[in-house]
Amino acid sequence: MLLIRLNPLRILNKASATILTRNIHITPAVATLTPRQTNRVKCTLIPGDGVGPELVYSVQEVFKAAGVPVDFEPYFFSEVNPTLSAPIDQVTSSITKNKVCLKGILATPDYSHTGELQTLNMKLRNELDLYANVVHVKSLPGVRSRHTGVDCVVIREQTEGEYSALEHESVKGVVECLKIITAAKSDRIAKFAFDYATKNKRKKVTVVHKANIMKLADGLFLKSCEETSKLYPKIEFEKVIVDNCTMQMVYKPQQFDVMVTPNLYGNIIDNLGAGLVGGAGVVAGASYSADCVVFEPGARHTFAEAVGKNVANPTAMILCSANLLIHANLASYGEMIKNSVSKVLLDGKVRTKDLGGQSNTQEFTYAIIHNLKPLSI
Amino acid sequence: MAARIISNSCLHRKLHELGSGLSKLSRRTAATALPMSDFEIQHKQPLVKKTKSIPVALYGGRHAVTMLPGGGIGPELMLYVREIFKYAGAPVDFEVVDIDPKSDESNDLEYAITSIKRNGVAIKGNIETRSESTGVQSRNVAIRNELDLFVNVLHCHSYPGVPARQSDIDIIIIRQNTEGEYAMLEHESVEGVVESMKVVTKSNSERVARFAFEYAKKNNRKKVTTIHKANIMKLSDGLFLETSQNIAKEYPEIEHNEMIIDNCCMQLVSKPHQFDVMIMTNLYGTIVSNVVCGLVGGAGLLSGKNYGDHYAIFEPGTRNTGTSIAGKNIANPIAMISASIDMLDHLGHKEHSKVISDAVRKVMCEDKLHTSDLGGTATSTDIVQKIIDYILQTDTRTW
Repeated sequence: MLLIRLNPLRILNKASATILTRNIHITPAVATLTPRQTNRVKCTLIPGDGVGPELVYSVQEVFKAAGVPVDFEPYFFSEVNPTLSAPIDQVTSSITKNKVCLKGILATPDYSHTGELQTLNMKLRNELDLYANVVHVKSLPGVRSRHTGVDCVVIREQTEGEYSALEHESVKGVVECLKIITAAKSDRIAKFAFDYATKNKRKKVTVVHKANIMKLADGLFLKSCEETSKLYPKIEFEKVIVDNCTMQMVYKPQQFDVMVTPNLYGNIIDNLGAGLVGGAGVVAGASYSADCVVFEPGARHTFAEAVGKNVANPTAMILCSANLLIHANLASYGEMIKNSVSKVLLDGKVRTKDLGGQSNTQEFTYAIIHNLKPLSI
Repeated sequence: MAARIISNSCLHRKLHELGSGLSKLSRRTAATALPMSDFEIQHKQPLVKKTKSIPVALYGGRHAVTMLPGGGIGPELMLYVREIFKYAGAPVDFEVVDIDPKSDESNDLEYAITSIKRNGVAIKGNIETRSESTGVQSRNVAIRNELDLFVNVLHCHSYPGVPARQSDIDIIIIRQNTEGEYAMLEHESVEGVVESMKVVTKSNSERVARFAFEYAKKNNRKKVTTIHKANIMKLSDGLFLETSQNIAKEYPEIEHNEMIIDNCCMQLVSKPHQFDVMIMTNLYGTIVSNVVCGLVGGAGLLSGKNYGDHYAIFEPGTRNTGTSIAGKNIANPIAMISASIDMLDHLGHKEHSKVISDAVRKVMCEDKLHTSDLGGTATSTDIVQKIIDYILQTDTRTW
């Protein structure tokens, strides 16, 4: 541990040197890699509501201990606390500049007081065009849950569909909500899903729809996916209706690989999936636009009742941050953190209450810090 | 592609008109007044509409790119490229597609082509076509034709410090890539008499010529030379020459002249500095580019770019597989690395391409670390390692 604290860089450089040697079967005379000047990566940070700030604090502790060269640009951003919240254009311009963001969950009030139909989350997504939400639902070693061996990826279109924020009451007592599906965005999310599958060596993409009822809207989405699938002859393509999908998910979730869904179904399946593998505290997610990525927990719960109680599970947030590091070309740090998380969970000695343990957030964070080991030494 | 740069200024207006459905997509572009990368120009402003546009493979700032390692030294060179990208933090994810050189089946090839269509950009080594049976098309040619990569650009420049026959060479060779002698129309009408057709079309000649002049304009080049053999092939090469002369009139600021291919080869080896940008048909292109590569130091140094209306492929400049030196750790990795630099440029990742090209320049010109083909003693991995060293020392962490 002390060793890591003192010279993390040198260790990592050595590690990478050995990796390189092995990969390109080099001659014994290995050139010495001079320690790299730490040019630090900047990252926007939105702690979010509820336990968000506590989880973010635990991420920062882990980063500090691992010597991760990341600088955060924190913004308080909240819908329930509008007076303190940073203006949205400041936040978006920071994310556009940094290209990566770590975000907690934003609470959204059930009723709109101002008549505004778009939530802050939706505004942020639309502003940055974060069209693809990816949630990797994966059974973690050592976390007891109903199913084992679950490993599926839910990819959700999150800029249109039911979340169009177009609702009106033409006649008193009759409210209409418009669900918008466009070919351009359906093509885009379908291609995203198949490209994700290709990149991550997945075998199958399942489209979740309800085209038997919404023949035009979901029909268009389904058609886009079908057409895109023709470009990927090596990936199996399958369709399933959303109601059947939810039943299959709780019954035999192992059958799914990559799933691509319109907005609302995706939201439901994300949460369902999170429930299968251990709850909102352990599932990481990310939202992609063409140019930037916002890493956020997969299931959207603020856990407001636990604020200040030091009981929340930081696993999801820490995994998000590890994914962020991998995305920002700091893969060695990311893997190091991921390995530590799975070791702590597998050992099972330190667990938060949601996983049946007795430890608090802080103890769990320290356990992760204690298990940080640089790779391949 | 470069032909479209002229209308770059009116792009914002065009994007505006794209309609409300896509306004979200365009607004981001309009808001950031950054100059567009070649990749963006190619995909947002196509001259020819694709039957159905395929969304761009760019997610969270990372591009997906097809990688075709090909045969011979290809796989090892690709490994070096990936290592270098890892250390330079280039935001590119490769989709590796291997094509089995032994089989006559075209499944792999079709898959590779589909993959390039999806990603829009590829980097490739030379793909072997072992079969000599007439039914089997050369795979390199098949890829070019299928994707309509009508132009090949080879920037031949000397590296100071690299021993070569001629120094300070800086020539751009632009070659028609899909027709001419490579039309692959051959037949034996009468026993013992074989005819091979050379096809030159006005539309393709025009595309190439316009590309060349736009390229010259964009890169501040002064002169374009059309290479031909119109004194013998009066109609086919005549058409090519005539088209380029017509296009030249639209660019009065760029000097245009012509030269016959045989004379051109002689001039190249005796006085290469008179050339600036050269355009030519397919077969002459392959000959001339090999001549110039020989002048500046062999096959291992230069990289070529193939452009079509929608796709771009980057590869080492001379198309040799180098099967004889595969696995011996002596192949010169510079050509493939510089192809990868071209690719990063095309995608708009200028910072990364600069970091890598600076490192390459330092290794080649200052350290004079050369492989045996340039008379040096270094191994491929020595050079790659040194380049990575320089990248790591660079003061920017760009991912």
